[in-house]
Amino acid sequence: MDIGDILRDVDPVFHSIPREKRDLQDLTRAWVAERSAPELLHWPSDGLFERINDNIKRQIEKVEEMTGDMDPKTNFALIVIQTELERFKYLVRSYLRARIAKIDRHTLHYLSSDELRSRLSEMELAYATRHQALLHNHYLSSFLSSFPPGLQNLNDTAGNISMIDTPDLESAVFIRLLSDTSVEGRGVDSDGAMEMEESDIVILRWSDAKPLVQLGNAELV
Amino acid sequence: MALPLPPGLTQAEVAFVAEMELVTIVPRQRLESIDLLSGKTPVLRPPHRAELPLWLALLLKKQRRANIVPPSWLHPASLTEIILRETKENPAAFSPPPPPPSRAHPREPGRARRLAESDANLSPPFQPSCTAEAPAGYLPYHWLEVAEALLAHAGDDMPVPAGEVRSLLRDLVEVRAAKMRSSTSQLEGFGGGLMSLRGVGAMELAESRGFVLGVVDGVRKIGASAEATRREEEELGGGRNDDDDESDDDMGI
Repeated sequence: MDIGDILRDVDPVFHSIPREKRDLQDLTRAWVAERSAPELLHWPSDGLFERINDNIKRQIEKVEEMTGDMDPKTNFALIVIQTELERFKYLVRSYLRARIAKIDRHTLHYLSSDELRSRLSEMELAYATRHQALLHNHYLSSFLSSFPPGLQNLNDTAGNISMIDTPDLESAVFIRLLSDTSVEGRGVDSDGAMEMEESDIVILRWSDAKPLVQLGNAELV
Repeated sequence: MALPLPPGLTQAEVAFVAEMELVTIVPRQRLESIDLLSGKTPVLRPPHRAELPLWLALLLKKQRRANIVPPSWLHPASLTEIILRETKENPAAFSPPPPPPSRAHPREPGRARRLAESDANLSPPFQPSCTAEAPAGYLPYHWLEVAEALLAHAGDDMPVPAGEVRSLLRDLVEVRAAKMRSSTSQLEGFGGGLMSLRGVGAMELAESRGFVLGVVDGVRKIGASAEATRREEEELGGGRNDDDDESDDDMGI
């Protein structure tokens, strides 16, 4: 049961927005957030992608059936359906590729703890593990094996410097507020706090924006 | 396979998102409802107006199956008012974004449903901010992209010659671009950790994103050690270091 289910129970009007429209809003928001955030975000846990993928598959089957029909009216509907299908596929593809780019850049980091691993979907986890294993084997066979054993690790933390690159969580981002709330940000000279209104656009550090985004009070733009 | 783009939406991606904005059309032909992934389209019966996403409206317009009703904020009177507000009344800030639909029509109980939609956390491009009923005098988030698309593909649906609207838009773009540029002088002293850009548009953000974020991140990295010292001092004694900070600034200039 997620927040949407609870809202639907107490607020009958919430139901007036069809699920398809909410899914598209959620997909768009997830895509924009993944494109803008400096680190990998959580894979949506409410089955959003499974649902959208099923719908896309069903729509493709429908297109295949309709192509046989030469009636000009269905023909136009077919064009519209295919155009929309391409738009959805673009969104899904771009979202997945943005995630893969982040996983590729900091593979060891995202595999390093259970909390970070839980952000990946099953497929992504399998991809990251296998990719890292292949890479490690390759390094071993090409040069690592000729190093002294003590220097062969790829995840040393000797001298308080970790070999694992991590994303810069202090990078600045743009967010849009979804409700009136107070925003706090840390700065170089001083820390700021402001009362902000819905639909304000704010620049601040991702580490300060993250709690707001996770609570649903703001979204990345 | 991995996406090689830098963080943040590019202009092309912003234009893609803007095509999801709802616009109002007047159909010229009947068209049955189509079962799309984003829900069923309304049945089109001339001359009843309907609301469709921009990409579909443009498709219908190109095939001469419909006319697009431009949103009221795109009328010359509304644009002139916004330019006046941006240049004379409040030359420092962007004009405010459209109020949530619920507050736009307080005296019309028939709009109660809209209120529910904004409560469910819909944000642009899914708020009805580019339809014919959208309030005049406010620029929605995707104003520039929607206006350009409508002028390019539905110029003949404008109530006045498209050239007039276009020249007003040019003025507005320039006024706001100047504000975006001058806001970077605020960035120099991005000490407070927060900066509000209320009312800015999606395309304007996309254009200056790289520069603005680069400056903010650069200032942070240069000041990282000063910030760490300040935090340590605050933890020890609290706000005693104000004077030191100022003298540091002076030396910096």
